[in-house]
Order: sequence, then structure tokens, then C-alpha cells
Amino acid sequence: MFAENLLGAFAEIGNVKTLVYMTIGVAAGLLAGSIPGFTIAMAVVLTLPFTFSMEASQGAATMISVLVGGLSGGLMAGILTGIPGTPSSVATTFDGFPMARKGEPGFALGLGVWSSFFGGMFSAVMLVLFAPQLARVGLEFQPWDFFMLVMFALTVTASLAGKNLVKGLLAGALGLFVKTIGEDDAAGMARFNFGNDELLGGFDFIAVLIGLFAFSQLLSDVRDPDKARRSLSMSGNVRVRIEHLRAIKAIIKRWPTLIRSSFIGMFVGILPGAGGSIANILAYDQAKKASSKPEEFGTGVPEGVIAPESSNNAVEGGALTPLMALGIPGDVTAAILLGALLMHDVVPSPSFIAEEPVLAYSIFIAFFCANFIMIALQSVVLRVFVLVTRIRMYMLASVILGFASIGVFALNNITFDIWTLLWFGIIGFAMRQFGFPLAPMILGVVLGDIAELNLSRAMAIDESLHHFVTRPWALFFLIVALFSAAFPYFQSQRSAGAKWTSYYAPALLAAVSLPLTMMGGGVRPVLAVLCVVLAGYLVYRLRRSATST
Amino acid sequence: MSRINKDVIVALCMLLACGIFIAASFQIREPNYGVLSPATWPRVILGAMTFLSLLYLFQSIRAGAPEPTEAELVLMEERKRAGFFGYWRNVIACFVLFFFYLLSMPWLGMLLGGLAFVFLLLNVLGGWSPKQVALHALISICTVGGMWALFTFGLEVTLPPGEIIGRF
Repeated sequence: MFAENLLGAFAEIGNVKTLVYMTIGVAAGLLAGSIPGFTIAMAVVLTLPFTFSMEASQGAATMISVLVGGLSGGLMAGILTGIPGTPSSVATTFDGFPMARKGEPGFALGLGVWSSFFGGMFSAVMLVLFAPQLARVGLEFQPWDFFMLVMFALTVTASLAGKNLVKGLLAGALGLFVKTIGEDDAAGMARFNFGNDELLGGFDFIAVLIGLFAFSQLLSDVRDPDKARRSLSMSGNVRVRIEHLRAIKAIIKRWPTLIRSSFIGMFVGILPGAGGSIANILAYDQAKKASSKPEEFGTGVPEGVIAPESSNNAVEGGALTPLMALGIPGDVTAAILLGALLMHDVVPSPSFIAEEPVLAYSIFIAFFCANFIMIALQSVVLRVFVLVTRIRMYMLASVILGFASIGVFALNNITFDIWTLLWFGIIGFAMRQFGFPLAPMILGVVLGDIAELNLSRAMAIDESLHHFVTRPWALFFLIVALFSAAFPYFQSQRSAGAKWTSYYAPALLAAVSLPLTMMGGGVRPVLAVLCVVLAGYLVYRLRRSATST
Repeated sequence: MSRINKDVIVALCMLLACGIFIAASFQIREPNYGVLSPATWPRVILGAMTFLSLLYLFQSIRAGAPEPTEAELVLMEERKRAGFFGYWRNVIACFVLFFFYLLSMPWLGMLLGGLAFVFLLLNVLGGWSPKQVALHALISICTVGGMWALFTFGLEVTLPPGEIIGRF
């Protein structure tokens, strides 16, 4: 059965048409990623309307290709011009650009390209190994657990807004609210349409996503008339040849950095809302801390390129894991991919891999293939990159706005969707100006229906609310959500030297041991005991260091 | 306008919006069969939003006007120099042109409307010199025409023809 499904998936991805789409997707992603101010999420979201007429597996493969290309494309601009193409490659510029200026742009690009490849392959393997296991766990979830999982995802995403936690939570709630407008799914009653028939169908969430992300981003990019008329990049020596062999040897020699950074990327990717922009900085920082010569970082050391590039590509395997296993996207781009699957009437859930094995394996295979295509295309795209850097931002913005309107119309063939694009473009732009993070709102829009559906199911089974705190998984997500909501406060207090912050980790460990114990079975109670022992040990160490000082 | 004033105003606007939508939630019809009331979930969200908006308002008032950073000072200076419409000129142009593009859709359709929108936007953002106008015309014809052709003939999506093209 497994072999049959795998062969089916190979047939889906291995046909010429899909491979052509994937190649175009990777090339588009590489170019989009290399353009400063053009985010990967924007590239993926703009690809969505084109996948409408494709098969589900073809559409998903194309979008994954754009994603993989975008993650790798950011390094070109970062290394050659010193301006990161995407937030995911900010740390790459720290050492990549100095290395290029020292006369080794080909080596720096080689390190970036191959680190991206190895990071991507690492996370692809992890995705294949972990997603089915996580899906098995997900089969235990009841509506109460799913509802709390959505709340947890939104809280974690909002908490990444740091000092702006309240704004992050408000944005998440706003996203959930947007999805309540129109007829409700269960009873078909009109909600908040104020007599407007067009609003009965609600807002198409792809139009909302494109408006919130792409439209508002383009407006931010052209706000300054001088910058809008400038070329995307004024400097940079791009007549280089990528030194593949030398780079591969250098990476193999520094394999601990590669593995550590890939793990960091994978872990960050699994966390809802956290993406490559966090992973690349975190991996760079860890590589610097682990290095015997940390003072050399920033001058053009290979580890400074390997760490951020392998981690940002490993992020996506992590982000796809909860999407494939639970139907909960790990980041904004995974949320858009979820949108693409929903558009094809495919609803990822814990039973997704079991019920749609060919499609699930197609996504796995597409992830692998996209990384190989990325390697093959890098040298070609590098030449096109020279042309792209000559384009002026205002030209790109005007054309993309025109494209977006046509693409959004094609979703449902109604003009109302283009109005949605405009209104949410305005909302997104205003939110950016007032310092509201967009990621929680996007997750809110994507997860709104899942949350309401599961709340409705839970209430239909039992109207009592106690299940939200007495069911083990629901309690587990509630505890983790509360701790993640408190995390920004914990961080600010820790830097202020508050003593209680030392007890944050032991308290979290002790708290999660309770639902783990309640879950029963063999492994989880043992894990609970380990958590309690670890918490006790940490407290003991804290007490001992306090008494010794 | 200082940041604190902006935040307070935003919080008050959000509270007002929450009030309006909570009131509107009482207009939602209740089904006479046993499902979760369609108003329950929106009210839960609006309740949370009201609480968070109050918290946001309280935080904004308590924090006081923060010292602007160097980058913010530069932007404030630029804003003062350019005036409101000068500072936001490009953004307003994008919104207004897109608005009229949508408004004219029934007559111009997506092809003519799209061409006009992209061409005008390119000129407004990039400049009106004869050379630029010619370049912008070429860009809009190639890109919008290309996309229209791709969707119409490649993906077989019927884009709005508009009254003008629809007559032929």
C-alpha cells in the first residue's frame, strides 16, 4: 500500500507538466526572494490564483517550489549587495557581504546555495519522519482539543510581537472576527452583513490575504517617492561564478554548524507564527556562541553564512509538519498553502495523510524536488538577477497591483473579491503604520472557521465548558498558551534582573507534567515524571547558586 | 501627532467598532433547532477584542508619549516638510486609482480598466516625461495584456469584458 501510494505520488510530481510548473515556481521564488522589499509570503500569495486551475498536487507543488526558491533567493541580494532580499536572509549579509567584498563572492554564494540545499533536505527528511507520527497523536484530538490548539497557535503568534503582545492578540482576534462575517456554516444565518447581499458569502480569505500582505506591502514600498523611483539595487558586483565544489567541502568540514542550524530552523518552523526571519538570526547567534573565534564573525567567516542559510530553509519543513499532521499552519506561508489546499477542497487534518496518501506524499516529494531544482537554477537566475535589480520599485508595484486584481477576480469570478482586496489592503497598510503585526491576523483569518467549527462540535456533544480545562490535550495547549502569552513579560523582566524569571522554565515543566500524566499510556506519564524531575533539578540548582552567593 | 495620541485614538476607534458589532450581533437571527447560536462565537471574539482594546487604551495612556527614535524623528521632519498630502501622495494615488479602476470595471472591463490603471499609476508614481510615458505605455500593454491573455486563453477564466468591449 505504501509503495503504491508513493509510486502514485511520484507519478503526480514526476510528470513533465508538474516539473515545468515547479521549475517556473522555483525561478519565480528565487527572483522574488532576491528583490528587497518583496517578501516570500507575498510571492507565494500571488502565486495562489495561478494554481486555481491546476490539480491539487500540482498546485501545492508549485507553491512549495515558490517557497523553496524564495527562501534561497534572499541570499543573492544579501551577499552581492548587502541588502537582504527577505527578512529570512538578514543574518546572511553579516558575513556573506564582507566575504563578497573581500573578493570571494562566488564562494559566499556557493556556501549560501549549498547550505540552503542541505538545510532544506534536512527538514524534508524530518517532515517525512515526523508528520505521520504527529498525525497519529492528532487523531486523539477531540473538538475541545482542536479549539484550544487554535487558541494556542494564535497566542504564540501574538507573543512573537514581543512588547506589542496586546496588539498581536488584537490582530489575531480581528482575524477570527473577519471570518465570522457572512452566513454561518452551521445554521446559514446572516451575520454582520448590514443588509448587503454580497457580504452574505463572507470575505474570500485568499483575497483577504493578498490585500493584507501584498497590497499593503507594496504601498509601504512606494510611500517614499524617491525610493520608489530608485532601482531595486544600485550596487553590487554580480559577474560571479558560484564555487560549488569548494563550498560543499567547506560545509562538510563545518557539519556541526549545519546540523545545529537546521535543527534550530526546524524547531522554529514548527512553532506557529515563527518563521525564517527569527530562525536565521537565532542560528547565527548560536553559531557565534559555539565558535572558538566569535570575534571573527562579521568579517566574512563561512559559519556566518552556513548557519542562517541552512536554518531559514529548514524552517519550511518545520512549518509544514503541523500543517500536514494537524491542519494547523506553522507560519504565514504554510497558512497560504493551507488556503491553496482548501481551494481544491482538500482539508488537512490528522487523518489527512491516511486518507489522502498520494497527495500527502506528493507534497513530501515536491519539497525534495524543489530543493534540487533550486540548486540547478541558482546559476541561471543569478544572471537574471542583474536585470531584476535594474527595475524600479514603482514599476514593480504598479504591475503587481494590476496582476493581483486579475488573480483575485479569477478565484471566484466576482468583482466583490477585488473590493475585498482593496479594503483589506487599506486595513493592512493602516495596521503596519500603527505597529500591529499582520501574522496573527492572517492566522486568525485562516483558523477562524476551524475554531468555530470545533467550538460548535464541542457544544453539540456537551454544553459544559469544563472539558476545555479537564481534557488532557486541551489543558496542555491552555498551559502552553498561557506561558507563551507571559513570555514577552518574562523576557522584559529577565533583562531587568527579576528573580522570579529563573523559575519560569521549572514552572512550565511542572505545569505540563499534569496533562501529560492525565493522558495515560506508557510513554507520556514517564515524560511527565521526567519533566517534574527536571523542574526539581533546575529549582535545586537555583537554590544552591543562591545560597553559595 | 505623538505616538501616544495615535495609540489612544486607535484604541478608542477599536472600542467604538466593538460596540457597533456587539450591537449588530443582537440582530443575528436565532435558529429554532439545536445548534450553537450563530451569535455566540462572534460575541466571544468581540468580548475578547473589547477587553484587549481597553487594555490597549489603558497601556497607551499610562505609557505616556515615548521619546521618538532617530528614524521616527527623520520621518516626522519629512512629514512636516512635505505636508500630509505630500507625504502620503503615492499611497493615496494607489488607493484612489485602484478605487476608480474598480468603479469603472462595469464599463471598461478588466482589460481596458487594467491597462488604464497600471498606465496611470506608473505615470503618477514615476513621472510624466514623454520618454517615461512611452515606456509606461509599453509596460502596461505588455504586462496587463499578457496577464489578460494568460487568464483568458491559458486558464480559460472569463474576465469582465465591460460594456465597451462587450459590444463587439
